[in-house]
Amino acid sequence: MLPLLAEMAADPATGMLLADSDSGAIGIAFPFLAGPAVFIAVYVGIYRYYRNTDKRHHFEKETEVAVGNLKQGDRKVGTNNRQKSRTMSGVNSTDHLERVRRIQVR
Amino acid sequence: MSVPPQGPQWARPDQPRRQDAPAGGPVPPAPAGQPLRPGQGQQGPGAPAPADGRFAQPAGGGAAQHSAPQFPGAEPPQGAQPPQGAKGAQRKSGQQPPAMLGDEAVAGAAEALRKHSSNRIIDTSSGRADGLNKCPRCGGTDIQYSLTAKALVCAYCRHSWNEENAEKAFGLDTSIAELQGHTMASGTADIQEDLTTMTLKCQGCGAEVVINVEQQLQARCHWCRQTLSINSQIPNGAVPDAVLPFHLTREEAIERIEAFADKRKAFAHPRFKAEFVPDNVMGVYIPYMVVDGNMHAVLQGTGEVTTRQYTVRRKVGKDNYVTETYYDADVYSVQRAFDLLVDDLTVESAERFDAKDNAQATNNILNAVQPYDTENAVAYNSNYLKNFTSERRDLNVRDVDDQVEEKFLAIARAKASPTIGRYDRGVRWEQEGVAVRGTRWVSVYVPVWLYSYADSAKGQDSLTHYIAVNARNGNTMGSVPVSHPKIFALACAAGSVAAVIGAVVGFGWFLAG
Repeated sequence: MLPLLAEMAADPATGMLLADSDSGAIGIAFPFLAGPAVFIAVYVGIYRYYRNTDKRHHFEKETEVAVGNLKQGDRKVGTNNRQKSRTMSGVNSTDHLERVRRIQVR
Repeated sequence: MSVPPQGPQWARPDQPRRQDAPAGGPVPPAPAGQPLRPGQGQQGPGAPAPADGRFAQPAGGGAAQHSAPQFPGAEPPQGAQPPQGAKGAQRKSGQQPPAMLGDEAVAGAAEALRKHSSNRIIDTSSGRADGLNKCPRCGGTDIQYSLTAKALVCAYCRHSWNEENAEKAFGLDTSIAELQGHTMASGTADIQEDLTTMTLKCQGCGAEVVINVEQQLQARCHWCRQTLSINSQIPNGAVPDAVLPFHLTREEAIERIEAFADKRKAFAHPRFKAEFVPDNVMGVYIPYMVVDGNMHAVLQGTGEVTTRQYTVRRKVGKDNYVTETYYDADVYSVQRAFDLLVDDLTVESAERFDAKDNAQATNNILNAVQPYDTENAVAYNSNYLKNFTSERRDLNVRDVDDQVEEKFLAIARAKASPTIGRYDRGVRWEQEGVAVRGTRWVSVYVPVWLYSYADSAKGQDSLTHYIAVNARNGNTMGSVPVSHPKIFALACAAGSVAAVIGAVVGFGWFLAG
């Protein structure tokens, strides 16, 4: 039963179907979405509280660092209009451990 | 055109060498395109920083005067020296006849010598010969670290003292901004794996005592009962430059571990609950490389600023309307360049405690109890290690320098965050690089109270769970094995309740709709 519900919840077609249906019909989906969501949240939450697999030393914030000689070079290169998302795609400015292409610096 | 001599030894910082060390193999040359190594990309003292070259594209930069840092996939700069190996082979084959050196060759040799000399080795050895390590007051050798006195205490005269602060004693506290080239404390020397036993000659009675230096650094003379110590920096990684002594007592550590585990009893694995004995905690010295860095970082990417937010109402189906929000944005090319002075960045130097490898043990736990106040580390004295276990360093500078470079880049990214606040839709960094001007490497033992648990029913393949206490500031973190059936049951119950509530709310919604 639960895998079936999870599958339904994960299926994008379900959301589209519900979005296109009458607003009252959305209510029928509530139990099928809330149940699996709470199940996953409780399972993952307890597991992480016990195992602490996500814990690490945040060296990038806690190491003593002095910054100087900052140079900024920003220039407008275009526009990106009529976007549905509040944030741009591929934002990685808060993911400090994700490495991107290396360039040569002198 | 003659080229300054650039043997493989210039491609990396020199490793400290010892007189008595057997000759090791030659240092492998750094191939082009290899990630930045210490020794690459260093700028000479007084080399003028390019005024406008910071934001130049890699291919469009000016002529490289010195060897520049190489990154994977990056083309070598114009004017860069040809591969070292080829040159060395050319010389060895005798194709170039020995001839009088011209001015260019002399200048090149001087430049190479300058670079070579910029890789500085700081001798951090105690100067004491292996054998007796005496109390400065009475000459006794029965000395151990007292957690109550937080000092070394002589068992005969009760004299207590601490070794000198390592940074001050060895001049490791000089300004990071002035670091050029690579400064390495002698305790970071390359490891010789074959050094397993040593014979110590007792200065008291003349007896010779064999000691397994893989396991211990002290032994009793079996004739006169004096304590014999390894006082020199033997090249097996067991002797660091500095030691950060324990501050938390064993009892304090047990308290913290118990409190940590007590909060996690309800869904813990039943065998863990039955076998949990916090008194089994052990005091362990774990080896870290402590790195200072003077560098210049460059980040390039794309950022967006919202210029307009508006809603559109459109018809869906017969009589229904949907309201959608849209955003217009300006796109910017974002570039940041800045100097960084990194102080006391730590990196694990024992392979089995690699924080990224959690297959055998929960090493991330040991990583998570940081930071350590490594600036208070004292000069190595083997008596600090007595009654504790210590993990031998088995990684060299060249084994961790890639990791250190990645950490430098991560720090650069973190430090750039406050400067991109105007980009409310975020920034996507696409290129990054760092030119390391100077680094300083020190090997330090840090203290951890460590409780480890391996599921007895699973044998040798079981995951080792650690509960660790930072023995300097008391930071506690751990991993407790879970009972999956119990979590599953609770999650099912919570999910069912949520489904029922959802059904009630949904039914009401349906009726209202």
